[in-house]
Amino acid sequence: MKHIALLLPMLLLLLLPARTFAAIGCTLSNPAQDLKYLYPEMTTYKEELRQLDQMKNGADLFKKLRARLGSDLDPVYESYETPYTVYSIFKGGDLIGIVHGVNVPGKGGVIQVFISAEPGSGEIKSFFFQRIESPAAKALKKKEFREQFNGLTLADFYKHDYFAVAEPTSDKDKVGRIAAPDVGEAGKQDYQASLRGLRKNLVLLDMFVYGLKYEAYYQRSQESLAKSKAK
Amino acid sequence: MNHITLASKNLLRRPVRSFLTVAGVSLAVAVAVSLGGFNLGYRQALDHSIERLGFQMMIMAKGCPYEAATMMLKGGTGLLYLPAEIYGTVKSDESILSITPIFVGVAAKEGSSIRDDEGTKSFSIISGIDTASFVTMKPWLQFKTGTGYDGGRWFSQDSTTEIVLGFEAAQYEQRKVGDTFYATVTPNGQTEAKTHEFKITGILDRTGTQDDGTVFMPLKNAQTIFGRPTDLTIIGIKLKKFGAVELREFEGRWLKIPEVQVVSLEQVKGTLVSLVGTAQVMIAAVAIIAVIVAVIGVVNTILMSVYERTGEIGVMKAIGAYRSDIFKLIWLETLAVCVTGGVLGCLMAIVGASLVEAAIRALINLGVQGSIVSITPGLVGGALIVSILLGFFAGLYPAWRAASMRPIEAIREGE
Repeated sequence: MKHIALLLPMLLLLLLPARTFAAIGCTLSNPAQDLKYLYPEMTTYKEELRQLDQMKNGADLFKKLRARLGSDLDPVYESYETPYTVYSIFKGGDLIGIVHGVNVPGKGGVIQVFISAEPGSGEIKSFFFQRIESPAAKALKKKEFREQFNGLTLADFYKHDYFAVAEPTSDKDKVGRIAAPDVGEAGKQDYQASLRGLRKNLVLLDMFVYGLKYEAYYQRSQESLAKSKAK
Repeated sequence: MNHITLASKNLLRRPVRSFLTVAGVSLAVAVAVSLGGFNLGYRQALDHSIERLGFQMMIMAKGCPYEAATMMLKGGTGLLYLPAEIYGTVKSDESILSITPIFVGVAAKEGSSIRDDEGTKSFSIISGIDTASFVTMKPWLQFKTGTGYDGGRWFSQDSTTEIVLGFEAAQYEQRKVGDTFYATVTPNGQTEAKTHEFKITGILDRTGTQDDGTVFMPLKNAQTIFGRPTDLTIIGIKLKKFGAVELREFEGRWLKIPEVQVVSLEQVKGTLVSLVGTAQVMIAAVAIIAVIVAVIGVVNTILMSVYERTGEIGVMKAIGAYRSDIFKLIWLETLAVCVTGGVLGCLMAIVGASLVEAAIRALINLGVQGSIVSITPGLVGGALIVSILLGFFAGLYPAWRAASMRPIEAIREGE
């Protein structure tokens, strides 16, 4: 009887209309087809949901994400509760790639920035948009622009933080050497948002997949930057 | 040992058989309750959707009434237009309490695809409205508040750059107040699409209607960007006094205009109810058959149990059990099976309501928003009463057979 008394209110709760709204994540529209398109040799894939608020050190990682992006996170669409989906691509038993996407607010709506990465090194294999509505969309989607990022890692972005300030002409700054597409004044905001999305994607992948292996580069770049500023 | 305890013990002696019989009853009850919930929920959702349209009738271009019904409720895309001057003419009708002109158009949006070779497209439904009269019709429209949404307001009527987003449109676009919104429109009679940039002045709270997925802009601007400056899609009307007679009189006055049709909410409701009515009758028939099959299963199981226990019943009678004791015992067993099945069936229906809803929505587009399966306490209570009644009737024959056995013959047969 006691159990029934407990069960009834729970069932009544189930009857209530769902009025709670979850944070919006970024997933592939057709994972099976899209991943096969990216990795024709794929035999299977695995989808894993990651959410900072459900991770042990989530609060700390969320703070780190904000710091490493160097900008505030959107309180609505980049919240602590936002779910992320990591796709692991397999050929037989071998892990051949990682695919991950993030939402970033653009001028004309959300921009969905995806990357496919090498499973061991975290190098970008390809960078692409799933959704972008912008006057700059055409230019940003061009292969020639996107392919410049192939082979880069999060370390290159952290190094760029230093080079951009201390040695703007350095040849070692791979990110700095990337030629910006012709997006005009109207597309500048979305170009910046896309770069931010790419960086956010890499930072999150470092947290979710690579065990913060690029953290040392961030620390070093910040220290070097501080030293250079002190000089 | 009282009858209830004895009946329970008898059922537990053959747990698998008892479980399967109960499962049969519970499945039948679950199907019946889910169907009842759908019938109830669908009508409620329809009433809600129609009530939330804000107007009792609308004037629109002549066309298929089914299309008209869907367009009213879902903001469909097969759009027909009527001359805007009709609004000015109808407006003067003395029976009208309030009237609002609406222009609906479809704007292209970027779709979602990772492929370089694939240009997928999505779309947004744009509603050009006259804010003052539109809000009078829908006084429940409120602006969403909170981080990113505070300060929401309607656009000024002569603005060409301001829009208001419905709740779901904003969620899909991930837009907040003050953000930019792009809409690509191919104006009427032209082949080249033009992209327009708007500023979002407000995001509406959820209403559970088609307004949630709509982008609102000033009527004049919508007509201009779609290249139809003298067209309207719908004229929404609320009468001072609304009834069958008033509606007929109103129709009589305005159906003389050749290119329009007057569609009332009742007609829309009737159209949609008749659309799903046939399907509902068929499903109801299946549910009734399922219940009948379950009841036959119960009678069969209890009868088998009675025949298996012939000797035992004979001994019970021989040591002093009355006919009424045997009758009660078997009857209670049947009742227990039906009541347990009924309770489990109701629980299954309650827990599975969302699955049923998802399945129905996947199969047919009902043209309404909100929950379409409503399992109420009344429905559950009714199902339990029916289960009890079925138990009573299903138990009569096996109980009578058992009670009628002669002790000596029963003991001999049972050996």
